[in-house]
This record gives sequence, structure tokens and C-alpha cells, in this order.
Amino acid sequence: MNEELSIILETTSKILNKHVDHKLRQNIDNDNSDLINLWGEIKQLGLPKIAVKDKFNGSGLPLSTTLPIIKLSNNIGAPIPLSETILSNYILSESDINPPSGIITYAIDVKNLKIIGNEISGELISVPYLNLTDKVVVIAEIEKTKKVILIKNSGEDKELKKNFLSEPRYNLKLNKCKILDIKPINLRINFKHLGAIVRSAQMIGSMEKILDLCIDYCSQRKQFGRALSKFQAIQHQISEMAVELSASSAALSTITNSDDFYKNKKDIAILKIRAGAAAGKVIAISHQVHGAIGFTQEYELAYFTRNLNSWRNDFGNESYWEDVLGKDFLENNNQNLWEYLT
Amino acid sequence: MSKFNFPYIKETNDLSNLRKEVRNFITKSLNHKDFEPSADAWVFSASPEFSKKLGSMGWLGMSFPKKYGGNERTALERYVVTEELLASGAPVAAHWIADRQSGSQILRYGNEEQKKSIIPKITAGECFFAIGMSEPDSGSDLASVKTKATKIENGWKLEGRKIWSTGAHIANYMIVLVRTSPASENNRHEGLSQFLVDLSLPNVSVKGIPDMTGQRHFNETLFDNVILSEDALLGVEGKGWSQVVGELALERSGPERFLSHFTLLESFINEFKNILIKSGSKLIGKLIAELQTLRRMSFSIASMLQNGESPETQAAFVKELGNKFEKTMVETLREFSNIIPLYEWPSQLQNLFEDATLRIPSNSLRGGTTEIMKGIIARQLGLR
Repeated sequence: MNEELSIILETTSKILNKHVDHKLRQNIDNDNSDLINLWGEIKQLGLPKIAVKDKFNGSGLPLSTTLPIIKLSNNIGAPIPLSETILSNYILSESDINPPSGIITYAIDVKNLKIIGNEISGELISVPYLNLTDKVVVIAEIEKTKKVILIKNSGEDKELKKNFLSEPRYNLKLNKCKILDIKPINLRINFKHLGAIVRSAQMIGSMEKILDLCIDYCSQRKQFGRALSKFQAIQHQISEMAVELSASSAALSTITNSDDFYKNKKDIAILKIRAGAAAGKVIAISHQVHGAIGFTQEYELAYFTRNLNSWRNDFGNESYWEDVLGKDFLENNNQNLWEYLT
Repeated sequence: MSKFNFPYIKETNDLSNLRKEVRNFITKSLNHKDFEPSADAWVFSASPEFSKKLGSMGWLGMSFPKKYGGNERTALERYVVTEELLASGAPVAAHWIADRQSGSQILRYGNEEQKKSIIPKITAGECFFAIGMSEPDSGSDLASVKTKATKIENGWKLEGRKIWSTGAHIANYMIVLVRTSPASENNRHEGLSQFLVDLSLPNVSVKGIPDMTGQRHFNETLFDNVILSEDALLGVEGKGWSQVVGELALERSGPERFLSHFTLLESFINEFKNILIKSGSKLIGKLIAELQTLRRMSFSIASMLQNGESPETQAAFVKELGNKFEKTMVETLREFSNIIPLYEWPSQLQNLFEDATLRIPSNSLRGGTTEIMKGIIARQLGLR
């Protein structure tokens, strides 16, 4: 890890730990003022434009360096659209659009999108954090080319989606919404692939936190005269979580250590499959060992497990990527499996 | 969680070239019909001739010092060679234990005479080892072993029995874990020692135990007051526990924990590729993801070993995940027999599948059970 990155990580950790507690997460629906203070410091540190080109006043760091930062943010459980803003700004910058300042989000699932003149109509599905921003990067195929479309939402057709996510998502109906900028997409990596990597990093950060919560809770909680952690049945379940987590982390570091990870569909698929599968087990086990308290809003476990539920389905779930990976190998006629693996 | 990091290690061009070299050798051996690929070959398929050939290629005792006939290559190079051999189902059982753990144990703890006389034979593929850990009353609970060595004039007297020793019937030596003094009240790991025992000595008898598949690899070895010379003590008297723990990291972390039945998977895919393209890509993708993650983790451990670290806990991760993967793999293939009934599979593939099905329960027993692996991990997590 280079020095610059470790300084950024240290500072990010300080800022987040100062502001983030479970009350902040619970209050975001009612009162955004604490969150806005937090975002102010994040912005001052330059995180929103960390992967944006110099010419747009960004830090110009390689995208791979953002992954440990995003992972850290979700390990602390910061209820802020950090990954959404970093990704949106990155895609704008790469496609030669100057990213606006402030929070920004993206939409990749769209319905009936139509552009007439300088206006766009249609539906955007499951857009994260629309409560904190009105700026959206829409990624869609328009007249057979993939486009990046920057819009400012006027706000009237926003519908909060009730799903299992801890973080807010919205469906948005656009009716002749003004386009701020539109360009053909220019990314070295498919946005779905990029999203899969980022969501995996977020899952891994969260799973590390969940493992810590389980260890702490089971070491303190006594039943039948001894700490839960002294029961072998509990120990083995938590060990299984650790195994799942370490396998996912190994898959992530394959990506973060590769200079050309954006080319590597195989390793991206492996990461999303591995992290998604781990998330399923971690959700089940962490709730099992916590008992009823883990099933409440008051305790923080559910904040993390609800996010896992959502992220493992974002940008392709395990089945999707298993199919991609299987076909990548099977449709290549020249290689047997061992050659493919090595 | 930093304890459980598996740092990323890139496979260099040199390693890839070595891989190709081994692969060419295997292809030639297959063309000459030197061996028939088999399942679980590192346990079941012993060929002293093949081991000797590997020795002459410089692929045994690869990381051992040159002055003892070794090749002074890295643990990563050894990793690549063992992977290639496992993936082809080559008959590596004869030398497996000597090359994997016993040689290293002697280099670490043996005296000069032992190193000079035994290590060159291991690297030549002419000296085989068996493991002497379990006993009839001590399986997972290794600290409870009762076999004991008593000091006598000019040496030791060994009495007791060891069980489940794979390959003891063809092995020249066994490293035996024994009690040399009683356990102390608060530390049952004290008072254990390791001995290097020549299995051709008088009063050593090796008896085979057919396993459930009917094959012979298991043995029970009786030591009926065997007289050992003074230098049969391996390492330090009373430090047997910490020595054996280090040995187990070598035993548990390697690619044999997830490539034991790779030949089955490869043959299955080659046979049914056209059907799998249409309806099995998801199944295959899932297996590839897990297998590649395991390779990534095990390779990382090889580099830890190279750096002189003691990755016992990481080894438990690989073993646990590897055992699970192999069970899932066989189960996945079994479900596929709904599409093409087993009796229509080519007979060689049927045999591999049936062998794997029968043998798979042993994979999470040998080298430490699932329960022991999870216990090791739990200890590292601070739960016990």
C-alpha cells in the first residue's frame, strides 16, 4: 500500500469514526444535518473526486485505490453515498464530462427511456440516495450506443422503494427532464463489472464488521452460566463466517493487486460469486448467534445485514456471474479446465 | 482480521515456464503409459518408479539445501510442481509425505548425520515416510497419545502403537509423536517428543487395515519395546507439540486439499462439454470460482512458508474450504446424472466418480477433522 493511500485511509477513518454511530444511521430519514456535516469533511478530504482526472480538479488516483476507502467506509457503516459519488464522478470524468460538485448518484436500470431534443423521459429504477442529491448519472443505451447522461431531477415523481436495503433507493419517473450533459460512454471497464467489484468491496467491509460484532456479542452474552463464545456450536458457526470472509478478501485482493483488473472478467466474476455466497452465510449465521436482539432496529447488526442482502443482488447476483464464468470457460474450445485455471 | 490475510502472489514467468515443463513431462509419461490417472492419487496411488523419475527431474525436496542433495528452489516452485502432478492424477503417494513434511521436519530438527543420510534419498525419490500421530485411543485429541519412549543407556526404548498411517507398509521411516514424560497438570502439551524411527528395526510390525473401499493404504504399526539409538530423538525432548504443530501447517495447506479429485472434474467436463454449454454453465462457473479462490489462498500460504512464517491458522482455512469444495463438486456431478444417467457415462469416468463418492468422507477426517479446523480458527478469533 502506498503512503498516500494509507494517509487517506487514516484520515477517512478518523472522520467517519467521529461522526458515525448507530443513531446517525437511524436518524437519516428525519434529519440530514449531521450527515451534511459529515459529508462536508469527506468532501474537504477530496474523496468524491478521488478518481476524477486532474483537468476536472480531481485527484486522478487510479480506481483501484478507491476500493480500500470504500471498504473502510462500509466497515464503519457510514450511511453516505460514498461509492455512488466516487463511481458517478469517475464515469463522468472518463467520458469527458466535468463532474458537478456535491453528492451525485447513478441509475443503470431504466425503462422506456426517450430523449427528445435536450429532454429525457422514462423511468429510472432503484436509484440510490436520491434523498441526498438531485443529480443523477444515467447510463443507458440510446440509439444503439451506450451513453452517459447527466441530469438534474426536479423531484416531483420520486417514489421511495421499500426494499431490504438499509440505504434509501428510489424509483424516479422522468417527464421531459432537462439534460445537463450527454456523451458516449468512455470506460475501460464495463460499468456492471465495476459495480460488481465495488459492491463486493462494500460487502467485505461490512462482513468484517459483522464478524467483530458476533465475536464481541458472544463473548459478553451469558446463557446457561457461561459466555455464548464458550459453546462449541457457536464457535464453529463463527469460524465458518471467518472462513467465508477470508476467501472473499482473498478474491478481492486479486483484483486490487492487478494493474489491469478492468480487463479481467474472470477474476471479477470470481469475486462477486465468492463475496455474494459469503454474504448469504454471514447474514444467516450472524443473526443466528445474536438471537432476537440482532433482529431489532435498535441494535446495529441489521443495518449491516440488510445492506448485504441488497448488494449481493446488485450488478449481477451469484447465479448471473456463475453463468458468465461457466460460459467464459466452456465456450472457449481450445482449453481444458486446468489450462483455463492456470 | 489481519491475521487471516492471504496476500496476493503473482505467478511469475519463471513459474509458468516450470509449469509447462512439468506438464510436458506428464504428457510424455501418459503417452508412454507410465501411469493411469486416478482419484485421490496422493493417498492411494503409489509408484516408487514414478517417484524416482520425479527425483531425477529435480522435483522432489525442491526447496531443500543443495548440500543435502536438494535443489534450493522456492516453496512457490514446489507449489507449482505439486499442483501439476495432482491435477493430472499422477501416482505420487509413495513420496508424498516425505516430500511434503517429513523432509522439512528433519532439516529443521534433525542432526547432521540424519540430514546427510536421509535427505538426499528423499530428493532422489528413494526414501518414503509415514506419519505417526494418531493412536487407537487418540484421534483428534493428539495430546492424549500414550506411545512412550523411555530413556535407556545409549538410547531410547519405544513402546506403543500408531494407527491410520497411510503408506507405512511401503515407507522406510515414520516420525512418531510420543510421550517422553507425563503431561503437567495445566499443560497437556508438555512432555511430548518426536522420534525418527526406521521401520525396518526389530520389534516394529506394520499391519494393513483395509479401508471401506477395500484398498490398502491405512496401517497400524506396533512398537514392541523397540530399541532406538540416542539420535533417533528428532528435535528437542519435550517440545514435540510445537514441532508437530509446525508440521501440520505443511500437511494441511497444500493443493491436495482441493485437487484430490480434479481428474474427475476435468474428465467429466471433457466428456459432457456440449451438454454443459447448454445447461450447465452455472454449475461449472460456481466450481471454478471456488477452486480458483482456493488456489489463490494456498499459493499465498506457500509464499508464507517461503518467508519462514508459520501459517497454521491459514492452513486450517484452506483445508476446511478445500474439503467442502470437494464434497460440493462430487455432489454437483451426482446431480448431473439426472440428465445423463450414470450407466451411460464412459466406464473410466464412472470409475472415477464412484471412487470419489466412496472416498470423499475421508477428506474431512485425514489431516485433522472439520471440527478441529474450526476449533483452531475459533481460538485465533479469541473465542476459546
